[in-house]
Amino acid sequence: MTDDARTGRPDEPGEVTLDAAASLRLIREQQERARAATEPDGRALYAAWGAAWLVGYLCLWSSSRRTADGAAGASGQPEPWAFAVFGGAILAAVAFTIVHTVTRTAGTRGASARTGALYGWAWFLGFLAIAFIQGGLARAGASPEVMGLASNATACLVVGLLYLAGGMVFGETRLYVLGVWILLVAAVASFVGIPLTYLVMALAGGGGFLLLAALEQVLRSRRRRAGRAAAPSVVAGEGPSRA
Amino acid sequence: MPEALDPVIHAPARLRLVATLAALPAGDELSFPKLRKLLEMTAGNLSTHLRKLEDAGYVAVTKTHEGRTPATYVALTPRGRRAFDDYTEALDALLKGAGS
Repeated sequence: MTDDARTGRPDEPGEVTLDAAASLRLIREQQERARAATEPDGRALYAAWGAAWLVGYLCLWSSSRRTADGAAGASGQPEPWAFAVFGGAILAAVAFTIVHTVTRTAGTRGASARTGALYGWAWFLGFLAIAFIQGGLARAGASPEVMGLASNATACLVVGLLYLAGGMVFGETRLYVLGVWILLVAAVASFVGIPLTYLVMALAGGGGFLLLAALEQVLRSRRRRAGRAAAPSVVAGEGPSRA
Repeated sequence: MPEALDPVIHAPARLRLVATLAALPAGDELSFPKLRKLLEMTAGNLSTHLRKLEDAGYVAVTKTHEGRTPATYVALTPRGRRAFDDYTEALDALLKGAGS
């Protein structure tokens, strides 16, 4: 029987009943919709950060390689334009993250909102501390190379550890794995030294984000397909709740 | 078989309403306007269904102020969440029974 499960006036209590399969499908679709409207989309965030890291760090890398070759001052440090592109890319990703998250979570409040706010503050405090650490290093006479390595390493440490925290707090295993990956990348990147540091950050770091964005997309479409495949076959077999 | 299913949740409009609230983590609330948008219901219609769910103790409605504008937040109570879980389990059982 392919009779429509939703006949009559759905708003009249007790008048209309759905069969079990149709009910479950209704629940699943509605919950998918609710989550999409209340939770940030991991795919979008990972893609934004992956693109920012890839573009930003590649600029730092190519610029510092140029200067290392003696093309411009022979310092081996990235030129101002590269830092400008890098800073712009990171700021764009930060802005996108904030706007996306605030838009998605607007109209919700409670335990998750509090946790989210505390999580957001942790990021701010982490990077505020980095700014002071950099200032202290500069005053102590750190060379541009030390400054470059330290700023990258401390930033990655904050990012990696906060992803671990986020993975734990929000129960997101893949976010936790990303945190582990970022920490590994930071360790290797710091060890190989500038300019290679920036290449490792771009490919392994930015690439890691992009890979995760792709994985989220694959998992999502697979889940959706599985959901669609399961329900209709039973609907066609007649709704048991009507018997 | 239908008598096993909770009649408060069984109406499609309220099923969608409860399913939406159950998609939030426990302890979270959804604003009335956002809930209305997610369900594509009129305010009056949504209020009617909310009252029925509130009477059953499944939903808690909180009226508050954000600045000077009044705001209404809706959440599933622990009892409502339990009822929804029972309901989906009953549906699953029905499906399994039909499949064999």
